[in-house]
Amino acid sequence: MTSKILQVKNISKSFAGVKALDQISLTINEGEIVCLVGENGSGKSTLVKIISGVYSPDNGEIIINDHSYKKLTPIDSMREGVQVIYQDFSLFPNLSVAENLVINEHLSSGKKFVNWKEFDHIAAKGLAEINVSIPLDMMAGDLSTADRQLIAITKATLAKARVIIMDEPTTALTQKEIHSLFNIIMDLKKKGISTIFVSHKLNEVTEIADRTVIFRNGKKVMDQDAKTLDIKTMEWYMTGRELDKSGIQFSHVNQQTEPLLEVENLTLQGKFTNVTFSLNPGEVLGITGLLGSGRTELALSLFGETPANSGEIRIEGKTVSIKSIQDAMNNRIGYVPEDRVIEGLFLDQSISDNVVVRVINKLVNHLHLINPQSISQVSNEWITRLEVKTPNGNLPAKSLSGGNQQRLVLAKWLASDPKLLILNSPTVGVDVGSKASIHELIRNLANQGMGILIISDDVPELMQTCNRLILMRRGKITNEFKRETITEELLNKEMVANRSGMVQ
Amino acid sequence: MLKKTIKSNEFITFSIIVLLSLIIGIINPAFFSLATVFDVLRASIVPSIMAFGLLLVIIAGGVDISFVAFAALGAYGTHMLLLHYGYQGGILLYYIIACAIGLLAGSLSGFIITRFDVPMFDVSLATFTLWYGFIRFFIGSAKNFQIPEGAVGYYAKFITTVKDPFVGEAGLHISVIYVLVIGVLIHILLKYTTLGRGIYAIGGNKDVAIRSGFNVRRIILIIYMILGVLSAFAGVTQSFLSRHFEPTLFMTQNLDVIAAVILGGASINGGRGSVLGTFLGVVLMQLINRAMVLTGITVEWQELVIGLVLTIFISLPAMRDRINKKTRHPVEIPDEI
Repeated sequence: MTSKILQVKNISKSFAGVKALDQISLTINEGEIVCLVGENGSGKSTLVKIISGVYSPDNGEIIINDHSYKKLTPIDSMREGVQVIYQDFSLFPNLSVAENLVINEHLSSGKKFVNWKEFDHIAAKGLAEINVSIPLDMMAGDLSTADRQLIAITKATLAKARVIIMDEPTTALTQKEIHSLFNIIMDLKKKGISTIFVSHKLNEVTEIADRTVIFRNGKKVMDQDAKTLDIKTMEWYMTGRELDKSGIQFSHVNQQTEPLLEVENLTLQGKFTNVTFSLNPGEVLGITGLLGSGRTELALSLFGETPANSGEIRIEGKTVSIKSIQDAMNNRIGYVPEDRVIEGLFLDQSISDNVVVRVINKLVNHLHLINPQSISQVSNEWITRLEVKTPNGNLPAKSLSGGNQQRLVLAKWLASDPKLLILNSPTVGVDVGSKASIHELIRNLANQGMGILIISDDVPELMQTCNRLILMRRGKITNEFKRETITEELLNKEMVANRSGMVQ
Repeated sequence: MLKKTIKSNEFITFSIIVLLSLIIGIINPAFFSLATVFDVLRASIVPSIMAFGLLLVIIAGGVDISFVAFAALGAYGTHMLLLHYGYQGGILLYYIIACAIGLLAGSLSGFIITRFDVPMFDVSLATFTLWYGFIRFFIGSAKNFQIPEGAVGYYAKFITTVKDPFVGEAGLHISVIYVLVIGVLIHILLKYTTLGRGIYAIGGNKDVAIRSGFNVRRIILIIYMILGVLSAFAGVTQSFLSRHFEPTLFMTQNLDVIAAVILGGASINGGRGSVLGTFLGVVLMQLINRAMVLTGITVEWQELVIGLVLTIFISLPAMRDRINKKTRHPVEIPDEI
């Protein structure tokens, strides 16, 4: 088990004078699961692109299966058995599972005609090899995210992969699906296939990794057996500083004031039933539960996207009817979606425009024309207040890193001055460093009197930010905890108890 | 398998054709005759040939409005050229020269699209005007009714004829054979060749197609070559069927052909469509046209009806997605509520 499949030696790569990778050396052994960890911009995706032949290194050497390359082409890389599973899975939504699985191999064979029987045969064999059953004639676009990922993995194994690189593979998966993904990675390991697992989620890293490699600022700062490594140490290596978890100020929530939000017996058929809770100004309430527990649906109902069938919502004591997003906004409710790329931002528009999009009708002059000066004023204020790292507000939103995009989504909502802010998984796909500062920001907003609902299944995140926690299961609130009376371990246990209750 | 067939777009189009025929037939029994079938088929020949070419563009995720100009350029250009040399032979030379012209015009569009990475629609918007302008400026601007001797009787070359009590003698024109042959060839291309699967792949996700190793530029160039050839072929056929050549041939008919392809179940967003569906779409369009005449409804209604059917059709994928979404996550629907 110690034969080396892939070695990179002293690889460096610069972009426009900025060193993205600095003298990186790394070895991947046969059947080894190596987790590649690092903050955004630490160089891990540059390394992945060098291994897959997309970029060529400035200097250094790549050795795959004892063949040495000064630089690789994508074709070389694939021929040597390196397969990358990108976050979009590189599938054709309009083609069948079988065709998606076999098309690459078919193309490289140079055949001019298609033999459908052969396609089905190869595809069925490929799926059977990793113990997956998905109907071959289904369109890839009709599959769930997890199934599409399985197709992508099968595609890699069919291409005789020896090293599979997975880029943030668990981002869109449920807990259950993550576990079956891990089982498959373990199966691949038994077959001698190595996995390079690129991830932000350190708890997953500790679960799956044989070895953990940490990058910071283009340098490899750690490379060691995963068993001897805990999350705190990893965080330290990633950020180069201790993330202070106790330093967050929990100001005392005034229980005497009128609740900001009261929800009574709220029901949405098939999604959640008789949900009752309240939220005080200055309070952060976490709503947690597994995917499908109704937590996201509840948030969307409060925001008017899928209005509830029955029940009552009161804001500052007054009964309100929230039947549309417009209603919610009129009641000064803000919602920051989970998928900031699809739902939260106009990626091609400028950062400034994204900040002001919610309040654009207020930034007009007496002729009701948009006033560019007020736009830049408002946007600059929020860019500064939320520390969005950009040289210029006129750059497109897509020029920002993940963490900064998330700040921008927040800025957009904060600019409209909400009383109640609903955050859905506020730090998914955000690296640890930015995560801590977003948590701090959430706490600060609460301390200024805003009411905040956080929908999340990230236990440490909830413990960091929430005054109170509500646990949902199958559309009902099953438990409520005060932050002072619960620990991370206990909350984890509660969620797992729920999970075992769910899988019959 | 049966369920899949019923849910398919082709089946929906086919059902509408059957339903519409029944309605027309009940109102006007004269509709149920071989003469009607022959007539609808004859009217479908030319639009089908163009639609097969356009289908490739639409599956690849593009839209084109310039193919009618290829047809006009091919037909009118060839005719005026041969007329100039006093050609009196058969139709074959017309097809050869016109197809060559179509190939060149199509290749030029394909070249611009692939070389400069311009969307297909944008290029077609320019070449549409360009070619009609070219024809009228350099070739001629008047209709021409001179048919070469060798092709005089071509418009009435029938495979078979029937006696019909209402319309007299009706015939099945031989050019339906072209439709059959071209249809089968395009079907094979789409379903059984790597090139054809590449067309679907580009329409499904162009970036992934490039990443998977499809030569996307070459494929789009070939699509445009085929579109050019088929359009010019259709232009010549139409000109001989109607026994005259005109510089503005088909100028206002491009949207009808696009509509027929969509009615045939192709997705305007690319990635989906079939030869059979496209043919059915063309037939449906012709049927709706005739329905108005045969049931005595005025022409104004014709457009309204086609518009309504199209509206339903373009909403179909969205409706289907909604249904799928409702049934897609069976695992996590709570059973207690």
